[in-house]
Amino acid sequence: MLTLEAIVLGLIMGIFYGLMAFGLTLIFGILKVVYFAHGESFMIGAFAYSLLALWLGVPLWLAIPSAIVVGGVIAVVVERLLIRPLYEKFGDWQAMRDEYAIIVTFGLSLFLVNLANQIFGPYPFRGPELTDVARFELGPMIVGGHRLVAGAVGVVVLVAAYLFIQHSFWGKQIRAVAQNRFGASIAGIDTRMVSMMVFALAGGLAALSGALLAPLFHASPDVGVLPALKSFVIVVLGGMGSPIGSLLGGLILGVLESLGALYISYTYRDTFAFVILIMVLLLRPQGLFGERAREV
Amino acid sequence: MGGSRLRIRNEFLASLVFLAIVALLPVWVISPYWRGLLVVSMYFALLAVAWNLLAGYAGQFSLAPTAFAMIGAYTTGLLAHHYGLSPLIGIPAAIVVSGVVGMGLGRVVFRLRGPYLALTTLSFAEILRHVVRNAHEITRGEFGLRVPALFDSHLAYFYVFLGLLLAVQVGLYLMLRSPAGLYLQAIRDDETAAASRGVNVVFWKTTAFAVSGAICGIAGALYVHFSEIASPQIGHIFETGLVLASVVIGGMGTMIGPVVGAFLVEIASEQFRAIGVNHMLLFAFMVIVVVRFFREGLWGLVMLALGRRLAGPRRRARPAQAGGS
Repeated sequence: MLTLEAIVLGLIMGIFYGLMAFGLTLIFGILKVVYFAHGESFMIGAFAYSLLALWLGVPLWLAIPSAIVVGGVIAVVVERLLIRPLYEKFGDWQAMRDEYAIIVTFGLSLFLVNLANQIFGPYPFRGPELTDVARFELGPMIVGGHRLVAGAVGVVVLVAAYLFIQHSFWGKQIRAVAQNRFGASIAGIDTRMVSMMVFALAGGLAALSGALLAPLFHASPDVGVLPALKSFVIVVLGGMGSPIGSLLGGLILGVLESLGALYISYTYRDTFAFVILIMVLLLRPQGLFGERAREV
Repeated sequence: MGGSRLRIRNEFLASLVFLAIVALLPVWVISPYWRGLLVVSMYFALLAVAWNLLAGYAGQFSLAPTAFAMIGAYTTGLLAHHYGLSPLIGIPAAIVVSGVVGMGLGRVVFRLRGPYLALTTLSFAEILRHVVRNAHEITRGEFGLRVPALFDSHLAYFYVFLGLLLAVQVGLYLMLRSPAGLYLQAIRDDETAAASRGVNVVFWKTTAFAVSGAICGIAGALYVHFSEIASPQIGHIFETGLVLASVVIGGMGTMIGPVVGAFLVEIASEQFRAIGVNHMLLFAFMVIVVVRFFREGLWGLVMLALGRRLAGPRRRARPAQAGGS
C-alpha cells in the first residue's frame, strides 16, 4: 500500500517536474545551448503567487494566471537582452556560444536569486493552498487536497501546452526552428518571434510550476535551484528537445524519487536525480526518447 | 604561434609583478582581519587559476571547482579528525585524492561537450555536497569538522599561500609554453580538428582535469587548516559562482586575469558586505555585463587601454555558420 501511495505521490510530483522540463527542452530545442536560469522562473512564479495572494489579497484563481504572466514576461525580457546575441551574431560568437550561454545564464541565475534575496529577504513565504479540503481519500490512499488540485491544474496545462506544440500553427513554427533555424527562416518563419514565444512559454510554465508548489515548497530565493537541476536531469533523460520525452521523463523521475525515498534512503532523495543523470549521460546519451546524436 | 607565446609570457610577467606587490603588502597591512582577507583572496585565486586552466585554456566548462576544494578539505580534515594524522600527511593526501578524483571525472566525461559537460560536473558537485552534508556520522554534516591549525600567525599562512600561488603560476606557465599548452588550446578551439592532427584528446583532457583538481584540492586543504573548520559550504554553488566571477571579470584564458580577479572579487565582497550590499548580486551582474559586452575582461580592457591589439586564441577566426546545429 505504501508503494502505491509513493507511486501516486511521485506521479503528482512528476507533473510539476514536467511543467519545468517542458519549457527547458523547448529552449534547448531552438537554441541548442543550456539555460541555467530556468529555476529562477520557478522561483519568480512561487513569489508572484504567494505575494499576490498574501499581500494584495488577489483571489487565487487570478493569482495563478498572474504568476504565469509574470514568469513569461521576465523570461521574454531575458531573451531580448541576453539570449538574442546567441543566434543573431555570427563568427566569433558562434564559435563560443556554449561558453557564452553557460556563463551568462549561470550569472543570470545567481543574479536573480540574490535580487530576490535583496528584495524579499531570505525568509520563505508559504503560498496559500488552492483548496480548503485538507485531504482526499482515493480508495485506500490519502492524498493532500492541494496536491491533488494543483496536480490536476498542472495536467490540464501540460496537455494544452503539448497540443499547442504539436498541432497549432505557432507550435509547428517552433518545431521547424528547432529542426533547422536557417531553413525555417528561409520558409518565412520569424525566428525572433519564435524565440520570444518559446521563452514566454517556458518562463510561464516554470512559473506555474513554482506557483502550484509554493504551498508545499515555500517561496524562498533559492527555491528554484533544485527543481532546475532536476529538470535538466529530466530533459537529458527524455532526450534533449523532445517535448513528450520531458513529460514522461518528469513522471519517471517523480516516481523513482518517491520510491527511492521510501526504499533506499530518505536523506539522500535529492541525489537520486543526479545519479540518474550521470548514468544516462554515460550509458544512453541520446536519452530515452531522443534520436539526435549528442554532438554539439 | 609566436604571438600566443609572447602573449602568455607578458601575462605571466604581469602576474609576477602583481604577486610581488602582494608579497609586500604585509608591511603595511597589519590587522589580522585584512591579512586573513588576503589569505582568502589567494585561496580563491588558486581556485580561479585552476578553473581557468580547464575552462579558459582547455575549453572544458566544469562547474565543479569548489567540489575539488571540498575533496581536499575533507581529505585532510577527516584524516586529522578520525585518525589524528598531522597536516603534513593530510595535505599531500589531499593533493593525491583530489588529483585522482579529477582524473576519474575527466576520464568519465571526456566524451561530453558544452552543456552536457557543464551539467554532469554540476551534478557531480551537488551529489558530493549532499553526501558530505548528510553523512553526519562521518563528516558531522553542516556543523563542520574541526581541523587543527597549521601555524599560529596569519603571516605564515599568507606566505605559504603566496608561495603556492607563485609555484602554480610558474608551473602553469611552463606547461602552457610547452607543446601541452598548444594541445590544450587546440582542443578548446576545435576538438575534432585537434584529434585529426594527432593530439591525444582524451589524455590531455584527463590531464587538465587532474591538474585542475589537484590545485583546487591543495587550496581547499590549506584553506581549512587556516579557517580551522571544514564545512559543506566550501562546495556551495555560490562559491563556484565567485570563482567563475573572478575568472570572467579578470579575463578568461589569460594568466593574470584570474589572479587579479580573485583579489578584486574577494576584497570587494568584504567591503560590500560591510555596508550591507549583497555582493553576489553585484558580481553576478558584472559577470553578465562583462561576458555580454567585453569578453576579454579587465585584462582585455587594460590591453585595450595600452593600445595593443589583442591577438591570440581568444579571437578565433572561424567561418560564420548559418543555421542551427
